[in-house]
Formats: sequence, C-alpha cells, structure tokens
Amino acid sequence: MNRGVLYYLMIPLLLLLSLLQSTTVARFKLAGVKPELVLLLIVIGALVYGARPAVLWAFIAGIALDIFSGGPLGASSLALMASALVTGLGHRPFSRFNILVPLTAAALGTLVYAAVYLTILAFLEVAGVSSLRLPLLDTVRDIVLPVTVYNTALMLLLLPLLNRLPESQDL
Amino acid sequence: MRSTERRPRNFSDIGVRVGLLVLAAVLLMALQLSGNLRPVQSLITQLTAPAQLSATGVTTSVEGFFASIARVRTLEQEYAALQTRADQLEAENSTLREVEKENEQLRALLNFAETRPRLELRGAQIVARVIGEESTNFIETILIDLGQVHGIRTGMPVVTDQGLVGRISEVTENTSKVLLLNDAGSSASALLAESRLNGIVHGSTSGDLIMDFIPQGPTFEMGEGVLSSGLGGQFPRGLAIGVIESIDSQPNAVFQTARVRPAVDFGSLELVMVITNFEPNESLPDLLTQPEPVTPTPVAAPTEETTP
Repeated sequence: MNRGVLYYLMIPLLLLLSLLQSTTVARFKLAGVKPELVLLLIVIGALVYGARPAVLWAFIAGIALDIFSGGPLGASSLALMASALVTGLGHRPFSRFNILVPLTAAALGTLVYAAVYLTILAFLEVAGVSSLRLPLLDTVRDIVLPVTVYNTALMLLLLPLLNRLPESQDL
Repeated sequence: MRSTERRPRNFSDIGVRVGLLVLAAVLLMALQLSGNLRPVQSLITQLTAPAQLSATGVTTSVEGFFASIARVRTLEQEYAALQTRADQLEAENSTLREVEKENEQLRALLNFAETRPRLELRGAQIVARVIGEESTNFIETILIDLGQVHGIRTGMPVVTDQGLVGRISEVTENTSKVLLLNDAGSSASALLAESRLNGIVHGSTSGDLIMDFIPQGPTFEMGEGVLSSGLGGQFPRGLAIGVIESIDSQPNAVFQTARVRPAVDFGSLELVMVITNFEPNESLPDLLTQPEPVTPTPVAAPTEETTP
C-alpha cells in the first residue's frame, strides 16, 4: 500500500506542532490571531489519506493541544475530528491537485473547527462549569474570519509541498 | 457474486472509530471538569513543562537571532549616526544581555513589591510563554509555574511592575492558569486617575481593553490613566490598567465608553507576580458584567418552624 512518509510522520509531527502551538506560534500573530498549524496538518492528512486515519490523528493531536495549553480536555479533539471528517469527505470525489480543493478544505476546516469549539465553550458555560463568555458576532468578526483567512493563506504557501506528496490509496 | 454477509464492525470502520473517539473525548472532558483527572494532569504537566520551557527558550533564541539581523541591517543603513551605539551593542554578549534583562525585570518587581508593602507578592517565573499559553484563538490565558503547593488559589490577582495582568482561573498542583484582562470574558472595576470616574474595564474578542459604564456628563481626557478601583472586591485598588486611547461618547447613551491602551504588554509577558494575600469577592463582578432585568418574584410568606 502506497502510504508515503508523511503517514508515518503524522503523529510525531502533530505532537511537535501541538507543542509549538502553545509556545512559539503566538509570535506569528497577525491581526490579533495566530495560525492553527495543527489544524492545517490534520486537513492535509485528511486530503491525502482520507477521513478514517485523520480522525484518529485529530483525536491524538487534540489531546496534546489541550494538555499543553491547559484547555478543556477533549474540546480540541472534538473540534479537530469534525474538521477531519468534513475535509476528508473531499478525499475521493475531488482531486487535491486542483488548487481550489486544499484552499477550500483549509477554510472549511477552520470554520468547522471554530463552530465546534465555540459550541463546546457555550455548552460548558450553560452547564455552569465555565464562565467564558464569547459574544458570537464579535468572535466571528474578530477571530474566526481572520484566522480562516490566515490558515487559507498558509495553505496556499504549503501547496507546493502538498502537491509533491504522492497520491495514496484509501486507508 | 456479491456477498450479502455483513462484516463485523471494528475500529477500522469509520463510524465505529468516530463514535468511540467522540465518547473518549467527552469522557475525558467530564473527568477533567469533575476534577478526577487532577493528579494525572499534574503529572503530565510536570512531564511536559520542560519540553515547553525548552521550546520557548529556543524560540527566544531564534527570535533574538533574527532581531539581531534586523538590527544589523538598520545599523548598516544608519551607520554614520549610530556607529558608537553599534559598537557597544556588538560588544555585548548575548548571554549577558539575557541576564541583564532578567535582572532588570526582577529589580522592577522588587521595587513594585517594596512600594506596596501591604500586598504579599509571590514572584513567578513566566508561565504563559514559558510553560505555555492557550493554543486556540478564542481564550486569552497563560500558564504560570506556581500552583496549589505554592499557595496559589483561584481568583488571586496577577500583576507585573507595569500593572494588572489578570487573575488565576485554574490551579493544579504545580501550575496555574491566568485569565488575562484582555480576554473577552475578563473584567475589572476601574477608576479614571484624574477625573475619578468609575467604570468597568473588560476585554474583547479583538484583544483590546474597553472601559464601559462611565457615567455620562463629566468629561475626561485621552491619555488619562486607568486604575483598578477595588470595587467589587475582585482586584486590589490602585493597580495600573492602562491609559485612555479613544473615547466614544454618544449624546443619547446612558454611559460613555473608552478604549484603553493596556499598561501591560500581554504579548510579551515573562515574569508575573501573584498577590496571595488578597481575598477576591467572586459574586459582585458577575452582577456587574452580566446585567439582567430583574423580574419581581412573589415573596413567600414566612412559615412557622415546628419542632417535634
């Protein structure tokens, strides 16, 4: 089975990026938001290998993110898994070598990630276990949209790398 | 011929996989929120903290390297005017610079503590940048390297020599999470230094500080200092929050609003202090930040207590 080197490197890479996300990535803030590198790698994994392995990577990466950042454990996993499922749907019907596919996947993955994460935060607040209140419209305007643009732009920069990865079979 | 036999479902089936992983994530969240994971979390934090410290150290070094390159380019452009200064900078050893910087910060913290003898301050080597910070864009928190064993409790105010940073929102055995003042869910009662007007400073999703509920009528100037007022009992009185950057005063509005430039640079926190002898009042700030219409409720008639 043609898996390629990225398949075997995914988990170590995700753990490394989770560490960087909670330490180094804050230095790359633009318009008040930082890029979501772990999410981007999950989207790439889903595009190349499909949703099935990507949801497992998303679960592991989410746990690592929450451990390093002290966030609600499992919240990042659920949000990343939703992104992996949605972007993995494009694995078979669309060719990732079409420039629009990875860019749309990055944007859509970011929006799904934000929607699920914000829903979890809202649920925790309603349940009375967290006092984090985020005004929806302001959050979308100030955080979700800028980070969607940021992640999509980064995916554009990563396209040459992504296009060099071999076509893989379904896993 | 197509087989009609159903394959047994296992973990390679995507539906089963997603279902199990979602269950696992929800279970972990429930365990964490109920506090049952605290010992495990403390252990994991102790194991991961060195990696985070190293990552931050490497980042600082790389950043310093690129900053030096940028500085050299600037010096080349303005060589004639800055030659003397450039020579001094080149003579400085990078390690010494780092030590000097830390020394300066510690002196400033010491000075802050000496001028406020009533507050018991416990110095904490950075946590947000050093131990970690929130990985998502939705919450503004940092982690500091002091926890329960150091006497840190939820609600304690966190400051630097520049001013108010935020408050402790979660505590584990050896680390604590600080909810920064610029988080959208953070707020503090505030006072304008010269006009003595009260208001509430809160964070926003854009990371800016907004001073709200300033009474309409009295005027105040841009550049005026904003201090914590101590009202509500969430923070001690007189801590610097920032200065007024812009004013939004609508004639028909009940209150005036102003944008505040923070006294603290939330993006480059290295050393912070926790005020450990301050007992925060948790109830009043919620009332202040979440004004809800009060609906009259019928008062229950007092019942006579009967003793058997």
